[in-house]
Amino acid sequence: MEVIAKPKGGNIDKMAERVFMESINILGGLKKLVEYRNLTWLPSLAEAAYVVVLKNETVKTYKEIAKALGITEQTARNIATADEDEVRKYLAGELEERPREHIAGGIAKLAYRTLKEQGKLEYEEVALGQEEIEVLDIDWAVHVLARLKGLDFPVSREQLEDRLKGMIIKGKNVEEILASLEYPIRTPAELLHKIKERI
Amino acid sequence: MAEYYELRELEGRAPKLFGVATGTKLDEMFYKVEMEGERYVKKPLGGIPYLAVINLTGIPDSGKSVLAEQFAVAQASAGYKVLIVTVESPAHFLYTSLKQKCAAMNADFNSVERNIVIIDASESDELRENPRALMDTMAYAIREKKVTNVIIDSITGLYEHKEVMARQIVRQFFNFLKKWRQTGILVSQKRSAQASESAEAAGGLAVAHIVDGTIVLDKRLIETKWEMNLYGMPIGSVLRTIRIDGCRLTGHDTRPWVFEITELGTVNILKPLDEFIRKSS
Repeated sequence: MEVIAKPKGGNIDKMAERVFMESINILGGLKKLVEYRNLTWLPSLAEAAYVVVLKNETVKTYKEIAKALGITEQTARNIATADEDEVRKYLAGELEERPREHIAGGIAKLAYRTLKEQGKLEYEEVALGQEEIEVLDIDWAVHVLARLKGLDFPVSREQLEDRLKGMIIKGKNVEEILASLEYPIRTPAELLHKIKERI
Repeated sequence: MAEYYELRELEGRAPKLFGVATGTKLDEMFYKVEMEGERYVKKPLGGIPYLAVINLTGIPDSGKSVLAEQFAVAQASAGYKVLIVTVESPAHFLYTSLKQKCAAMNADFNSVERNIVIIDASESDELRENPRALMDTMAYAIREKKVTNVIIDSITGLYEHKEVMARQIVRQFFNFLKKWRQTGILVSQKRSAQASESAEAAGGLAVAHIVDGTIVLDKRLIETKWEMNLYGMPIGSVLRTIRIDGCRLTGHDTRPWVFEITELGTVNILKPLDEFIRKSS
């Protein structure tokens, strides 16, 4: 029997922001948009992010969504019904012709799906300052994560040794710690957990 | 621009009329009228009307929560998802109560456990004091768990120190349940100044006017010889009655019925009060 003891859902603006940022990531990041002079895509992505979130997280009709965002009902419908798999193929260069789908809609739907599967759409953010990190004695974890930024998991020992080379964690060489772990390591959280057990 | 419809345009949107079983004789007390041959016949609806939002009111210890939980178990054991918003009793107490109901009703607790979701507003100020936050949480539960039935026990707890807002709050939750196409039971309490057998709940008659129907539970202590002779019950015993005060969606029996809360903690509706009295005299 599931028990929900605190408020859930509801923060549409925060969810739309996350979908928007993830959409930019899917396109290769903000820098890529700048390099390819595609910054004009940003308003469409923002609009699509809101449509996708409102359609999936509230019970609004296309008409109500269109009215809330100042767009036409047909645009709202096109965004919400875009075939994200077709759009993904187009972005990957697998299609010769541009599909009839709403591209920004497809990207936003891909982003929404990714965040939902990873449970990242509704998590609550907690900001930790340097002082809190030192009090909690977890600065080593922050440094490890900073060095691993951009690395795709699961990872091998060689990949970790390459990224974390020369680090000392609680007086121990990181190579020594990494040698005692089991591989592959599936997520950053698993890596931190295993390191913590060794120090 | 105001929206309007021609009556025939609403045909496709009108919900079907059938009953959502409560597991009690209430299922026979709501009825529909159908044409058979050349005459109209009354047929039991089989439960409270589908998509109705029903107010369940009564004085303390009249059996409101017992009936609401029994409805939850009846629906969950039939495979339907139920959302219970508990405002009065913490979730772990409700868990125990539901488990006992399952045992009493011979329901498979594993199945019931899978099909019930609880929002514990009793220990969360934000859920209790902020209707928007509670409705967002309910929307999350309904959407993620594919809920079709909602119980709020009690709606009174959401305006207990701001009764002037009762109508506004009940209206918000009524509209919410309609929008999300839920069959709903709103348990509401009565103030001490209100007559125990009336449909007036805490918050005034506004509550009864907003919802689709009201079920009133009442109890009377047998204290005089006259009552003892009338009801055929010993002095000191409790006579419990249940009455459908009104329902705008379908026909219903208007008589008060006598019921008991069994030793196993379930509502057992016996017979109409007039038959009960006749039998005892």
